[in-house]
Amino acid sequence: MAYDPASLDKPFEILKAFDWGGDASAFQPIDAAVVAAHADPAARADLEKRLATLLGAGTSRAAKEYVCRKLSLIGTAASVPSLAALLPEKDHSHMARFALERINAAEATEALRKALGTVLGDLKIGMISSLAGRGDAASVPAIAALLSGESKTAVAAADALGRIHTPEACQALAAAGGITDKAAGSAIADARLACAESLLRQGKRAEAKAIYTSLSESAAAGTTPTAKATRLAAARGILACLDTTTTS
Amino acid sequence: MTVLARRHRSTIVLMWAVLTCLSCGLRPAAAADTAAPQDAVQMTVDFLAKDDQAFRAIGLDRVRYGLKGEAATKQFAGLLSKLAPARQLELTAALADRGDRAALPATLALLMASQEPAVRAAAIHAVGSLGSGTEVAVLKTSLAAADPEKAAARRALTILRGNDVTPLIVEAAKVGEPGLRPTFIDILADRRAVSALPDLLAAAVDGDPAVRTAAMRALARFGGPEQVAGMVQGVLKAASGGERDEAERSLVTVCTQNPGKEKAAEALLTQFKAADDATKETLLTVLARVGGDGALAIVDGLIADANAGKRRLGLTALAKWPDATVSQRLLDLLGKSQDPTERELLLATLIRIAPLPDNKLKDKQKLELLEKTMSLCKRDEDRRRVLERANAIRTIETLRFVAPYLDDPNLAEPACLSVVELAHHRTIRDANKDEFTKALDKVLGTTKNEELIERAERYKQGQTWERKKPAKS
Repeated sequence: MAYDPASLDKPFEILKAFDWGGDASAFQPIDAAVVAAHADPAARADLEKRLATLLGAGTSRAAKEYVCRKLSLIGTAASVPSLAALLPEKDHSHMARFALERINAAEATEALRKALGTVLGDLKIGMISSLAGRGDAASVPAIAALLSGESKTAVAAADALGRIHTPEACQALAAAGGITDKAAGSAIADARLACAESLLRQGKRAEAKAIYTSLSESAAAGTTPTAKATRLAAARGILACLDTTTTS
Repeated sequence: MTVLARRHRSTIVLMWAVLTCLSCGLRPAAAADTAAPQDAVQMTVDFLAKDDQAFRAIGLDRVRYGLKGEAATKQFAGLLSKLAPARQLELTAALADRGDRAALPATLALLMASQEPAVRAAAIHAVGSLGSGTEVAVLKTSLAAADPEKAAARRALTILRGNDVTPLIVEAAKVGEPGLRPTFIDILADRRAVSALPDLLAAAVDGDPAVRTAAMRALARFGGPEQVAGMVQGVLKAASGGERDEAERSLVTVCTQNPGKEKAAEALLTQFKAADDATKETLLTVLARVGGDGALAIVDGLIADANAGKRRLGLTALAKWPDATVSQRLLDLLGKSQDPTERELLLATLIRIAPLPDNKLKDKQKLELLEKTMSLCKRDEDRRRVLERANAIRTIETLRFVAPYLDDPNLAEPACLSVVELAHHRTIRDANKDEFTKALDKVLGTTKNEELIERAERYKQGQTWERKKPAKS
């Protein structure tokens, strides 16, 4: 089906005034246009522009969510400023991240990174998670700095570093000392296991084994179920590192 | 053979197997093995010795899937004799999964040494996974033991690899211990040993009924058109009654379900036509159970015959028909027949075939046929059977057909049963809630059957009901 901008005038008018409980089937032409515009850069740019316009004031949360979903499919760097503006807003931050996480443009990562330094609480945890989702190595120092912070944020930071698992991320996790928060400590151990598994998959057995051994030693004294789980995972990892007859 | 003699023989066979295995030179699991590092092997061994099940699981996982190579296998297998029975069990299972034949001598030695039935069964399973034709003798001996050893041996003989295995099992099925010959045939069937088909055909006419039955059962699993002539002989050889019935069913399976079923049915027809009258009489039931135009022509000929005996044979055959393609014929015959016995047979056949799931009729046609049959019934006994059979057609129209009979004191009980059975199916019940509620209310006011009352109440409340499983004999 070819892209027909005129056919979208009415659905966009409805979208402008849309709220929860409204008839979302009216947006079917927009859904179809998103599909049609996929291989048509000009149509895609036009559609993206029309959608991004609706992210400003005057539209409901429901309408913005719909727009974010569509921009996650066809968005480019052009949509980033409009989406980035929503990142500090409690009601819209989540869906703005949903879109930015999926937009294939460095500007999207940059916007998330910038917001990480400014937003607080759950919104900051969201930024950490999205940057991890994008595997952003450049945000490792900023995320690592949060390991010693408030418990929930530290847990999210540890998890993110494990997901990014670059050498710098693994290093930052290993260097995290003096963490007294149990949840954060456990998350760091999990993240380090993730780093080790990644190294093992890459065939870097010695580096992986070093992490497993360190984890095994630090968990040896622990009597909690988490400590035992870490010990078991580390033992399994060490054995896998030593076993050169199989690929991991 | 006494128990002692059997055990003695078993020990000799085992020792022979161990020695053969040791002397023949062992095939490694993979030709391109690199030796597993000793520190990893030792760590695994240490884990296997731990009391903590979680650590042992890590070690067993490595035995199963890691640390490739014959040397490591031998080191792991060497632990078997030193472990407690429960640990022997888990390590044996892991070595079986590892699939390296280098563990075979230790596994056989364990089988020879252990008195624990579970350990012996695990060792037998491992022999099945790791062994070849050489181990058939050991497993044959274990087949004569009690369960769980016997069950493990049967499974092991089924999974045992090697080109020489099937011929050895065929040989055992021919000249083995009489009580075990049917089991060997079952094993051949489980192995889908196509090369053994000629031997199975020979076994189908064996002097031993148990062997014949097992052979026909095996042929039903993967026999085809080429086996029909031989299976016909199996049917003819079978003693009338249970054995004959089972043999017939096996032949019917080959002609109606197996690959090449159409050709198999043709072959059966050819066999039938070439047979003498007495043989034809025996085979007529099979022919009718297979169905088809050729068979129908023969059955029609018999029914039209002036000879009353032949007509009765034809009608009996028609009563075995596998689908509703003969429904009109049955209705016509029923309309003309004055003989009460014939009428009863024809009516029973109609009631049976109308709702058959594979009768190629749509639900609406099935119900129409059943309604027509109902109109021909002159006795309440037959009407009751129609009502009971109706619930196999799961439509709201069936409920509408059955519901009026809830008011007939003579037919209310089978009608109640059918209403409840139909209500069991949520898709029909939920789509026609009001009609079902009304009918179920009537059931509750009519039946004295406690199970039906419970079910009707549950269905009315939108609940499910778990059908009781038949007791195991």
